[in-house]
Amino acid sequence: MSGLETIKIIVDAEKEASRMLEEAQRKATEIRKQIDVTIENQRSEALDSAKQKASEITERAEHEGKSEAEKFERDSSGKLRELVANASSKKESAVKKLVELVLS
Amino acid sequence: MSETAKFTEDILSIAREKAQSIISKAQEDVDRILNEAKSNFLREASEIIKTAETEVEAIRRRQVSEARHALKLREQEQKNKILTEVLDQTRKRAAEITVDENRYLQYLTKLSVDGIHEIELENVVLHLNASDAKRFGEKLNREISKQLQKSEQIEFAREPIDSAGGVIISNNDGTVRIVNTFEQRYEALEARLLIEAGKLLFNE
Repeated sequence: MSGLETIKIIVDAEKEASRMLEEAQRKATEIRKQIDVTIENQRSEALDSAKQKASEITERAEHEGKSEAEKFERDSSGKLRELVANASSKKESAVKKLVELVLS
Repeated sequence: MSETAKFTEDILSIAREKAQSIISKAQEDVDRILNEAKSNFLREASEIIKTAETEVEAIRRRQVSEARHALKLREQEQKNKILTEVLDQTRKRAAEITVDENRYLQYLTKLSVDGIHEIELENVVLHLNASDAKRFGEKLNREISKQLQKSEQIEFAREPIDSAGGVIISNNDGTVRIVNTFEQRYEALEARLLIEAGKLLFNE
């Protein structure tokens, strides 16, 4: 092998090495570029899922609260009816006592 | 292997290692950034769920509280209705005393005597409505005189008062007045009547 041929082989090898490094840099840049999109996608997915779960929790609470309120309403309506009936039965005697008070 | 081949192989081998290192470093950076970001947005997601869980009790309390409030309003409405009926009935029934002449005369006498004692004057003027003045006049004067210990001079006003019943006791020029009409007594007693009615009807 002549000296010239040897130099050419070495120059080609260095060119190949340089191309390898450039390719690696390009890949590294590409990998770094992807990160923002990846983060945004994963964040969006995690937050959407959390919001969905939160919505289910509050919906369930609304439903349970409504049931509890309805139960309270049923129990208390009975008591109110009783109170009104009881007071209505005392109306006549109350009027008599109040008339006495007015005329005393 | 020739020296040249060994040399070029070294160059390429070093370049390969370096290239691998560049890519690995990029991947490590990305993994680290992703892990940090993950930790942040997972915390964010966890906060969203925690907030919803905290709201659960508040939602339940709000629903029950709204129901309780609505019921309280309904209860108050019903009570007011009954109280109004009873007070209206009381006013009507009290005014019916005027139909029973003897009883009303006694009552009118009492109202007059109470007023005369209260005004503490020797000369008093009694003001009645037209019907009472016509019905009772002298009879009332006699009944009052029987009950008074001092000898107060009683006159009846010529002008009738606009009232359902009762009496106004005044001095001669009308500057001092004790108003014992039905309307005034009812108005003065209204707050007390409400309290009494509440006790009688609702044990309040």
